[in-house]
Amino acid sequence: MTKSDIGGISSPEQAAPTTAGKVSRRSFLATAAAGAALSMPAVRRAAAADEKVLYVNTWGGAWEEAAKEALFTPFTRDTGIEIRTVAPVSFAKLAAQVRTGVYEFDVTTLGVAELGRANQAKLIAAPDKAILDPAKLWPGAVVLDGVASHAFGNVLAYRNEKFPAPGLQSWADFWDVQKFPGSRCLQRYAGRVIPIALLADGVAPDKLFPLDLDRAFKALDRIKPHIRVWWSQGPQSQQLLRDGEVDAIGMWNTQVQRLVEAKAPITVSWNQAVVDVAYWAVARGTPRAENAWRFVNYAVQPEPLAQFAVKNDYGPMNPEAFKYIPEDKAKQLPTWPANFKNSIVLDPAKMLPQIDEFSKRFDQWIAS
Amino acid sequence: MGSSVSRLLRGPAVLYLPAALFLLVFFLVPLFNVAWMSFTEPDTGVGNYIAFFSSSFDVGVLLNTFKTAAIVTLTSLIFAYPVAYVAARYGGAFGSFLLIVVTLSFWTSFLVRTYAWMVILGVKGPITAALVMLGWSPPPQILFTTFASTFAMTHLLMPFMILTLYAVMRRIDATYMRAAAGLGAKPLKAFTSIYLPLSLPGIANGSVLVFITCLGFYVTPVLLGSPRDKMIAGRIGDEIEQMLNFGGASAMAMVLLVATLGLFALYSRFFGLDKLWK
Repeated sequence: MTKSDIGGISSPEQAAPTTAGKVSRRSFLATAAAGAALSMPAVRRAAAADEKVLYVNTWGGAWEEAAKEALFTPFTRDTGIEIRTVAPVSFAKLAAQVRTGVYEFDVTTLGVAELGRANQAKLIAAPDKAILDPAKLWPGAVVLDGVASHAFGNVLAYRNEKFPAPGLQSWADFWDVQKFPGSRCLQRYAGRVIPIALLADGVAPDKLFPLDLDRAFKALDRIKPHIRVWWSQGPQSQQLLRDGEVDAIGMWNTQVQRLVEAKAPITVSWNQAVVDVAYWAVARGTPRAENAWRFVNYAVQPEPLAQFAVKNDYGPMNPEAFKYIPEDKAKQLPTWPANFKNSIVLDPAKMLPQIDEFSKRFDQWIAS
Repeated sequence: MGSSVSRLLRGPAVLYLPAALFLLVFFLVPLFNVAWMSFTEPDTGVGNYIAFFSSSFDVGVLLNTFKTAAIVTLTSLIFAYPVAYVAARYGGAFGSFLLIVVTLSFWTSFLVRTYAWMVILGVKGPITAALVMLGWSPPPQILFTTFASTFAMTHLLMPFMILTLYAVMRRIDATYMRAAAGLGAKPLKAFTSIYLPLSLPGIANGSVLVFITCLGFYVTPVLLGSPRDKMIAGRIGDEIEQMLNFGGASAMAMVLLVATLGLFALYSRFFGLDKLWK
C-alpha cells in the first residue's frame, strides 16, 4: 500500500474511478496480448520500431496536465513524435514489461528508492550518449541510469492552534512529545521515514549514510504510540492536517502548498526537509528507445523543466531552470538554494544496499 | 469419435464453448503462470513457501485476513437479513425504496464510500460531535481503529448480502408462513422452522460472496484502520510494487488460493456447496 508516490499528486489507489476510466483500448489490448499471445511479442516489437510515437507513464490528474502543457506538447511540436500517456505510474508494470517484452510505456519517472531497485534489477536502459550526453548536463544529473528531473521535500507541518510560535522547528521537536504534546503522522514509506527518524535522534545530515537501522528503529519505537495514522496517499495527508485529525505531520511540500494557498491555520518548516528526487528512466529493451531518450533530454532542459516544476511546486534539479522562475515563486521550491542547503537529499546510490532490508523491517515493525 | 464431437458441437454444449475458452485464456493460463512463478522465481524449488511459512509476520497477516473476512461476513449477514426480509416479505413501495437505497450505495465506488467514512468518523465528524453533546469528554477516537475498518467494510459489502438474500427470499412462498400460523405455530417458531431453512441458500450464497470479496480488500483497512490491520492482498501488492519479488508474491497468492479452497472443501463437507446454486 505504500505506493511509491514520487509525484506530488497521486491518485489514491490504482482502482480509483478516474484511473479505471483510463484503461484504454490500448492498455486492454496490451494486457490481452500479454495473456493470450505470449509467443508473439516479436510481432508487436517489429511493428513498433519506426513509429513516430512515444508512450509515457504518468501520474495522471494534475501531474499529467502540467506535463502535457510544459513538456509533451512542445516536444511533439519540435520533433513530430506523438506522445501518448499511460497512467498511473506503476513500478511493477515496468518490471513486467521487461520480463514479457510487451511494452505499454517506454518512459517513466522513479523516486530514489525505486531507481536503485530498478537499476539493480536491470529494468532500465543506460543513456544513449549520442542523444543525451551526461557531460552536457549539470554535475550529478545522471545517477544509476536515471536522469534527475525534479525534487519534492518531505517537510514538517503543524496546526497553529496546537503549537503557537515558535512551534516545531526540527524533527527532534517532532519527536519531543513532552514539550509538544499532540498527535503525529508520517508517511508509511520506509525510505523517507527512516532518515527522518535518524535526524530526529540527532544524527548529523552528512553522517546519515549508511543508515544505522537499529538506531532508527529505536527512535521509531519512541514515536510510534503517538502516530495516530500513517498516511499513504498524497491527498490523504492534506485532509488529515486540514481537518485537524493530526496535530503535526511529515508530508510533501507539493501537498502542503495547497493548504498554505487555502490559508489553512498551519505552519510549514523547511528545516531538515528530506528531499526525494524523481528521475526519468527508459524501460530496458523498448523498441522506441531513441524517441525515449530524445524526450528525456528535452524534459530536463531548463525552460521546459522550469515550467513543469512550477505548476506542481516541484524543485527543478537542473539549476539553470531557476532562470525561468520568478524569485517569489522559486523561494517556495525545495531546490531553491536557501531551502536546499538546510535539507537532506536522498541519494539512490547510497541507499541501494540497504533498501530491501529496511523496507522489509519497516513493514513488519509497523504492523507489530 | 468424430460423430460424438460433431454431436457435441451441435448440442447445447456448444454454448459453453465461448465461456470455457475465455476462462482458459484469461484465467487458467495466468493462474498456471502464477503457480509456475511461485516455484521458479528467483530459484527453482519451494524456497518461497518456506520463506512464507517461516515468517510469523506473513502467517499472522494471513490469519488476520481470514479473521477479518469472517467477522465482516457475520456482521453483514446480521444487518442484511432484516433488510432483505422486509423488502421481500412486504414488498410494495417501501420494499422498492429499500432496494433502491441499497442499489444506489452499490453503484457508488468503494473508494468514495471509504473516504466518506473518514469524514463521518473523524474528529470533526457528526459521530464525534454527537458523543461530545452527550457529555463524552474527551470523545473516543473512532477513526483509525480496527472497529472503524470492520464497520466500513461491512457497509461496503452489505449490498452483496442484501441483494443475494433478497433474490432467494423473493421466491419463498408466503403461504407457507400462513399455513404454519394456521397450524398453530407462533411467529418465531414459524420463522425458525420454515422461513430460515428456506432462506439458507441465500445465506450460504451471500456469505460466500462477501467472504471472498473481503479476502481481497486492503484499501479500506489501510485508510480507516489501525496499522495492525494488515491484509494479505496488501502484502502481495507491497511485495510486487516495492520489492519486485514476483516469486514470493506468487507464493503468497497460491497460499491464499489453497487456503480459501480448503475452507470451501470443509464448508462443502458439512453444508454442501450445492446450496450455492440451488
